[in-house]
Formats: sequence, C-alpha cells, structure tokens
Amino acid sequence: MFERALNAFWILLGAAAAAYAWTLGLIGASGPESGLFPFLAGLIIMGAGAVLLLRPASENIAPDFPRGQALWRVLGVIAGLAFMAISIPFLGFAVAGFITMVILLRTVEKSSWWFSLALALVAIVVVVWLFGRVLGMALPRGPWGCEAWRPSGGCSPVSASS
Amino acid sequence: MEAIGGLLTGFGVILTLDNLFLCFLGSLIGTLVGVLPGVGPLAALALLLPITFTMTPVGGMVMLASIFYGAMYGGSTTSILLNIPGEAASVVTCLDGHQMAKQGRAGAALGIAAIGSFVAGTLGVIVMTFFAPTIAAVAIRFGPPENFALMVLGIVCTLFMITGSPVKGALMVALGFLTAAVGIDVVNGRERFTFGSIDLSAGIELLAVVIGLFGVTEVLNNVERVVKSTLVAERIRGLWPTLADWRASWRPMLRGSGLGFLLGLVPGGGPVTASFMSYALEKRISAHPDGFGKGAIEGVAGPESANNAAVAGSIIPVLSLGIPSNAVTALLLGALVIHGVQPGPLFITQRPDLFWGIVASMYVGNVLLLLLNLPLVGLWVQFLRIPYRVLFPIVLLLSIVGVYSANKNVFDLWVMLGFGVAGYVLSKLKYDLAPFVIAFVLAPLLEQSLRQSLAMSPDGAMIFVQRPGTALMLVSSAVLVALMVRRKPKGGSR
Repeated sequence: MFERALNAFWILLGAAAAAYAWTLGLIGASGPESGLFPFLAGLIIMGAGAVLLLRPASENIAPDFPRGQALWRVLGVIAGLAFMAISIPFLGFAVAGFITMVILLRTVEKSSWWFSLALALVAIVVVVWLFGRVLGMALPRGPWGCEAWRPSGGCSPVSASS
Repeated sequence: MEAIGGLLTGFGVILTLDNLFLCFLGSLIGTLVGVLPGVGPLAALALLLPITFTMTPVGGMVMLASIFYGAMYGGSTTSILLNIPGEAASVVTCLDGHQMAKQGRAGAALGIAAIGSFVAGTLGVIVMTFFAPTIAAVAIRFGPPENFALMVLGIVCTLFMITGSPVKGALMVALGFLTAAVGIDVVNGRERFTFGSIDLSAGIELLAVVIGLFGVTEVLNNVERVVKSTLVAERIRGLWPTLADWRASWRPMLRGSGLGFLLGLVPGGGPVTASFMSYALEKRISAHPDGFGKGAIEGVAGPESANNAAVAGSIIPVLSLGIPSNAVTALLLGALVIHGVQPGPLFITQRPDLFWGIVASMYVGNVLLLLLNLPLVGLWVQFLRIPYRVLFPIVLLLSIVGVYSANKNVFDLWVMLGFGVAGYVLSKLKYDLAPFVIAFVLAPLLEQSLRQSLAMSPDGAMIFVQRPGTALMLVSSAVLVALMVRRKPKGGSR
C-alpha cells in the first residue's frame, strides 16, 4: 500500500515538474531553453512511476519500517537533527550541539546522565577546537559572540547568514 | 615514455612534506573509516570535503583519494574479527574471513587481506598510469554530442549494473537531474524551481545531499537495531601467511586484481560489485567449492584484491573523461569542481601536476596502508571496541559541521535532514541511492552538452545519429536498455 502511494506520488511529482518546466520554455529561437532538461527529467519520473504503479501487486515491497523501541530511536535521531537546525541560529553550534548530543544519548541510547554529559562535553570541545580553531572553519556562535576562531587567536564577527 | 615522465612529475609533486603528510593522514582516516562499522567511505569523504577547502587542490585530492582506497584496506579487519562489514565492499570477506578467525587463523586472514589489497592496489595503479592518458587522448577529440552520448552510456551502464530494480534506478537518475536543475540557469540567468526562495536560488548543495543520503541515512538504518558483536581475537598472531596460504592465494589475488580493475572502469561497477563477483568467480572455479563459507583463504584473497583494484579502475573515468562510475567517484568529481578544476580529456594536459600527483600518491598510499594495516593491526582492533552509541552522535555532529561549513547556511541542514529521511525511506523500498548522486553531479555537464549539441545542429536531434561515435554510444545504450527490459525481475521487483 505504502509503495503504491509512493508510485502515485512519483507520477504527480513528474507531471508537476514537467508542467512547470514547460512554462520555462523548451526550445526557443536560439536553441534549447531552460525548461527542456527538467521537462525530460519530469517525463522520466512520471513514466517510471507509472511502470511501478501498473506492475502486479505481488512485485511490491512491504517495507520493514521499525516499530516500538526501534521506531522511537529513529524518530529520536530525526528530532535531534531538527532541534539542531532550529536552535543553531539562536544558541550557536556549541550549545545546540551539546544539548542535541545529550538528548540523543539519553533518549536514543538510554545512556546514563553522567556518561551523556561527559561525552557530549568532550565531543563538543574537541569538534569546536579542531574545526573552529585549528582548521579555521566558521562555526555559528549565535548570541555568544564571534563566529569563527582564527588560528592567530582572534575571531571574526558574526555574519548575517548565521 | 610519456607516462613515465608524467609519473616522475607526480612523484616530484607528492614527495613534499605537506603532501606526504596528507597522504598519510588520508590513509589513516580511510583505514579508520573502513574499520568502524556504520561509517562508510562516501559519508567520510563528504564530511571531510570542507576541510580540503583550505588546502591546495593537489593536497585536498590526495587526501580524499587516500581515504577512498584506505577504507578498502580497513573494511576487512571488521569483517574478519567481528563478522560485521566495516564497509559495503567487505561484506563477502565476512563469509570466509570470520570463519578463519573462529578457527584461530585471524592473523592469516588479516595478513592475506592486507597483502592482497596491496598487490591489487599497486597493480591497478600501474595499469592506470599507462591506461588513463590513452583514454584521455581518444576522448580529447570528443565534441558536445559525443560527451552527451558518453554520459548517457555511463548512466545506462550504471542502471544495468545495479542489483535492484532498473526502473527504480532510472527514477532516481531523473530525480537527481531534477534536483540539480533547482537554482539559476547559468546559460540565461532564469530561475528554475526556486519558488521565490533565496536559499533555493543558489541551488541544492552537493554536500548536504551526499551527507544526508549516505551519512544520516546510514545512522538511521543503524540506530533502529541493536547490534551485539563479539571480538573473535583479542591478540593477533601469525600475520604473515604460510607457504600453503600463498599457494592458495596468489591466483585469486591476480584474478581479483584483473576483474576488480575492469569492473571499476565500468559505470555502476566499483569495489562492492567487484568483491561480490570475485567471490562468485573463485567459488565457481575452485576444485573444492564446499570449502567456501567455512574458512577458504581464496574467499578472502580474491574479494579483498578485487575491491582495491576497483578503486584504481573507478578513478580512471573520472580523471580522464570526467564521468564518475559510482557515488564515491561522483563526490570526488564534485570535490574537483569545488576546487575549480574540471576533470575530463583535457585534465591531464592542463593539470599534469594534479593528475600525476594523484597517481603517484596512490603508489605511496598503498605502501603506507600496508604498513598501517599489518604492524598496527592491534591498534585497529582496539577501535573495534568503540560502541555505536558513542559513534553515531559524533557522526551526526561532524555531519552538521561539514554541511554548515560549505555555505554557512542553516537551510543546508534542513536539506541534509530531508535527504536523510528520504534516503532512509527509499532504502527500505530497495531504491539504490548511488544513481541519484551520479546523476546529480553529472546533470550540469549533461545539460550543457545537450544544449550545445542542439544549438550547433542545423537538424536538431539528428546530430546524435549523424556522428558515428555518438550514434554507436547511443545504440549501445539502447541495447543495454533493451536487455534490462527483457531481464527477469530480481527479488520481485522490476
């Protein structure tokens, strides 16, 4: 059932993409236009979706989605990543990462409080030191100050994008 | 002679303190990635790609390439000692390697895997040294129609080789094309599929796609089950194979090297397919096939040689034609483009330092990996004690750093999460994710070739039939498609 619904979705997605690409133009006076390539891609998606939808039901796969505890573990990881993406602009990388790691270790892996706090702290300190300081990569600091530590010891100001 | 001169240039480039260190670092990380189950070479390459932005193109590519072939060495350690593949190309090594370990022959299994990897890796690079310039010399005559037809043939070959449904593979290819079309059309500046979003107008970030599909998806697949593993051997003895082991192994090593190299060249081939086919070949031609699965050393020597030779084989199409044969080489292609280098037929003549530097680094890297994997095997065994519950939050943290650092844009984190969840659901329905990445990376080149071909043709699409080389490649693609249509569906899924 799930796979049939997905195959129907492919047909709709392909049709929508092809229709939108059509509005961009396919072939103009100077040759192919912006819509040609995505139009062809949309047609392939639609065609493949139709082939998959029309095949015998016996060929469909019943996906072994997790249940019970396993499902909660998967949802926990997804929720953790979503929390990280939401909170980074407000809390910065280090604080958001620390909280996310503790949540993941406590909820997904049922680790003890001490183990979770210690591992999260060590991991964040090492990552921020290695990537932010040694390699000079920009890690968002949020409201806590500068965005990236420079190898020279200084830090660059927070940019609008973070 | 030209190849020898080029190789000497390459050694001149690689034998500097900086580049040797990066080759060593890449080999070390690659072995670690191979050893640790749940962290694949593709995810590792994607995670570490942003670090190379601060390096020279030579240094960055040397490190990334050594992670790729280093992972092939390390993967066997986990397969043999834990019966869990460190990475996908070492799955078959579990069958006989772990049985050998249970029989007290872990040292011999690890030794023959490392030596086989070294022999195959070195033979593969030797052939690559002479073969890649020849391919590039032929491809240099190609115009846009030939390039288009070659890319189409490459993608069709990928679909032909995948183990799952070719229809699902074709759908993934088209989705890859469509995703790559998001953003501003570089030819006329028109926005496509952006729906007014500034984030989408810059296009979908390659790193967010790859880390989502292969990093996050892998974590989601791993956390849903609790894997309890037991280390078979705490202390490894007798790494050097006996005379009987050598007698049984040298032919599988050479066969694995040849087979792996050829399968690496073919789009859709690569290390995983090579190791499986080598195992099947060794079992089929063996005088005692019943011994396979019960600790036959040929079942370790062949596949471990094949997956390493496939790495050398799969790098050739990327560097000499600009066409990736699997997802890892697609990422390497993407990395080169990010560094401002466009691989293809002109790559060897325009950037001999980079091409020959990479080739020379593979000779050096294979020696380093033999040293890292034989005397230091005890160290890698200690890494096998790290439980996955410690690893996965760190992998996720590194994923976020890797994705964010590309554009410093939180939107990319949502893209990563979206592709991670989509990859997880699609993998449950047996969709192969590699064709998506290959198509995503190739799409801009393919579209450019298609548009240039049609623009230069007075007869429209007939240009693809009028040029013999193009027609031959497109007819070959059509034949492969016809064979796929006639092929019986595998596992109930066509």
